[in-house]
Amino acid sequence: MTTTLGYAIIAVSLLAAAYSLWTAWRDQAMQVPHLVALGVLEVLLVTQAVVGFLKLSGGEGPHSSATFVGYLLAILLIPPAGAGWGLLERSRYGPGVIVVACLAVAIMIVRMNQIWTGTHA
Amino acid sequence: MPERPGATTRSGPGRLLVAVYALFALAAGARAGVQIGTKFSEAPVAYLLSAVAAVIYVLATVALALGGRTSRRIAVAACSVELLGVLVVGTLSLVDASAFPDATVWSGFGRGYGFVPLVLPVIGLVWLRRTSRTDGTAAAGVAASSDSSEDAPHTA
Repeated sequence: MTTTLGYAIIAVSLLAAAYSLWTAWRDQAMQVPHLVALGVLEVLLVTQAVVGFLKLSGGEGPHSSATFVGYLLAILLIPPAGAGWGLLERSRYGPGVIVVACLAVAIMIVRMNQIWTGTHA
Repeated sequence: MPERPGATTRSGPGRLLVAVYALFALAAGARAGVQIGTKFSEAPVAYLLSAVAAVIYVLATVALALGGRTSRRIAVAACSVELLGVLVVGTLSLVDASAFPDATVWSGFGRGYGFVPLVLPVIGLVWLRRTSRTDGTAAAGVAASSDSSEDAPHTA
């Protein structure tokens, strides 16, 4: 797991969460910028998955990698699922879904870092 | 106003509730999958509990997302079992830690997940009760006060 990429993903997800919270606050439904933000996030997550698998196959990473691989793959589902579910709701709760999805991604990245460095039991 | 009976559990704030439930279905499911797939013999009871939790989250997610009459009943049952589960497992995991050598989503009342597992079923049940009043599928009791609250579904 590269620290730089991890921080980049956390930064993008928190920015997207803040933007979505702001639009939800202003009582707007999901728009194109929300989708662009989720798209950028998904690209970063796919990159992370590729880099993660390469590093794992190179012998780096946690002692038992099953949990890490689980996170690596499960996190890919969140931006598309959030986009789909949020688009179905034409109210402020659409961006609200994106807030939840982006915060979940940020938290998952923190956990993945802990698992990778072995600081998590 | 809600468009038709049954649509309300997934619309408005319910959209968020379903999203959070889906996250927990994913988290509990992935956790149970890894635990059962890689080290089932270490703590079969705890890992089976993880799997049960995952199934309940999936059921609640789908039932809240569908929101029909039957789904509503399933959602109430799933949220109730979930609340019972988090209370029982949470208590047991603190009283008898040796029975839970590895964490489940419900250990320590969901401490590892910011106590969201403890709060989620309560919000779920409150939401089910509130929407059953507004869409009229259940016998309405006292409806007057709840509708003026800020959480009432908005339409843009």
